[in-house]
Amino acid sequence: MKSLEKKKQKRSAAMIFKKNISGWVLILPSVFLLFLIVWRPVGMAFYYSLFRLQGMKAVAFVGLRNFRDVITDTAFLQTVGNTVKYVLWSLVIGMPIPFFAAVMINEMVRGKGYFKFAMYLPVIVPTVATCLIWKMLYLDGEGGLLNALLYFVGIGPANWLSNKTLTIPLVIIASTWQGFGTTLIMYLASLQSVDQNLYEAARVDGTGFWGRFWHILLPHMRGTILLLAMRQIIGVFQITEQPLVMTGGGPNGASMSLGLTNYFYAFQYGQFDKSMALGVISFLFLIGLTFIYFKLDRKFSE
Amino acid sequence: MSKFSEKTNGLLNFMELKQAKYRFIYGIMAVVLILLSLVCILPILWVFLSGFKTTSEMYSIPPTFLPSSISIEPVKEIFDKVNFFKYFGNTLMEIVGALVFDLIINGLAGYVLSRIRPKGSAVLETLVFGTMLLPSVSMVPLYMTFVNMPITHVNLTGSFMPLWMQAGCNAFTIMLFRNFFNGIPMDYLEAARIDGCGNLGIFFKIILPLSKPIIVVESIFCVINSWKNFMWPYLILGSTPKETISILLYQVSSGGMSLTMPEVMLVVMLSIIPPGIFYAIFSKQIMGGMNMSGIKG
Repeated sequence: MKSLEKKKQKRSAAMIFKKNISGWVLILPSVFLLFLIVWRPVGMAFYYSLFRLQGMKAVAFVGLRNFRDVITDTAFLQTVGNTVKYVLWSLVIGMPIPFFAAVMINEMVRGKGYFKFAMYLPVIVPTVATCLIWKMLYLDGEGGLLNALLYFVGIGPANWLSNKTLTIPLVIIASTWQGFGTTLIMYLASLQSVDQNLYEAARVDGTGFWGRFWHILLPHMRGTILLLAMRQIIGVFQITEQPLVMTGGGPNGASMSLGLTNYFYAFQYGQFDKSMALGVISFLFLIGLTFIYFKLDRKFSE
Repeated sequence: MSKFSEKTNGLLNFMELKQAKYRFIYGIMAVVLILLSLVCILPILWVFLSGFKTTSEMYSIPPTFLPSSISIEPVKEIFDKVNFFKYFGNTLMEIVGALVFDLIINGLAGYVLSRIRPKGSAVLETLVFGTMLLPSVSMVPLYMTFVNMPITHVNLTGSFMPLWMQAGCNAFTIMLFRNFFNGIPMDYLEAARIDGCGNLGIFFKIILPLSKPIIVVESIFCVINSWKNFMWPYLILGSTPKETISILLYQVSSGGMSLTMPEVMLVVMLSIIPPGIFYAIFSKQIMGGMNMSGIKG
């Protein structure tokens, strides 16, 4: 009797052992790639940013000199300012459009499918193609579509991307055009889960359209809005491809972002060490931001 | 077709839509949406039409929206000038490999975390979750990794491998799969296990056939994202025979191919048509999938 139980136990122990082993084997490729592609590079950046690199070889330990060089670069403050401008403009332009579009689409009796289809369409356009399209829309002189429209209003051709004050908001408009379909669909999904009875109760109480928007819809969406705002801030903070293709950082560095500076350090000037130092700085900043988000999120959900 | 008199959900209901004030609000919302949808469509339409214009037509005063004639000739000419088959073929290679890596590696990880749960799963899960929150830290270390792989010292630049590996390494996708697999009843798996199926057998015989919806959705996003992908293909495959469509677009945008404006438009048009057709076919699944994936995309 006792030996039988022992045998059983032994067998199940073997089975559990087998299950563990095969589980680990099956997840190994994934863990390997996560380590190689995500975690290890972070460590590499922290490590190598303390060295002077020649090509890809560390030749001398220099402590924090790369960081000092990056921060004291004459363009650094302007670039940080530009990056903040990118983020602020993306909050002004890129946040309200998908939110209000979603709220309005949700109200439509007809055409919901069409609106969703049309507004998600730019998402499938290749990023570089989007930049090209908008670059041509913004073209100075007669060839650009915006200037063509101005012509019909009776105003002469204006300068767009080559205008120092306009260039960042114009790049943000292009990237909002490309991306807002994604956020729109997420807002729509979140709107589906509003408790309709709350609206009904509010109506009975005589709460008007705006009251319902303000006191029922908005509080319900708060979590989603905060999450998407956070994602947008982190995404736009690293903006690289759009200024690279549309402006190359110009005119005169007016659209230079931290991401683009980083790219130029690495793949234009071959200064991998500086690129990693700058990468570490933005990394730490974004980690801090994520931390604040979690604090906020917890506070809101209480 | 739905009617105003049947609208019960949302901020406005049918009773209110009988009042002029609310009708007015509704009308404004409809107009704003129509304008917004035009902003989304018109630039693409403009590109399509401009490709058929002559250069002088593009710069004409007053500007024209429609080209004077639409013929197949300009398209033929651009195919002679630019070897599209090469770029399309390469992009296809990128996509197919990315699909395989994405579905199998992320899928297996989701399966293990959802259904096998070996010892240490909690640690693994924390690791995956942590990855989702991690911002990127410069492209350089990863680039160095691909140029000189650890231990083997293989240089992977100039091959599709780095792009495929990146597709097979997505914490969001792992979570997506895990959450979906959580919904598959354990009984099925137990039954198969009693029949002598191993873990891998269960994955291929039971899990995968039951997971068609999630596989379809993930495949669609993988195809679209691979087609859009620019920075890493450019760094890994730029100036090699394996250049993809995004790299071509970048060359065109920096004046590398000495094309006229209408020809540039045609290149852009041809880069939009394949994903456009894809989108037209799968738009329903995409919208549904966005909801399924929650915050992915």
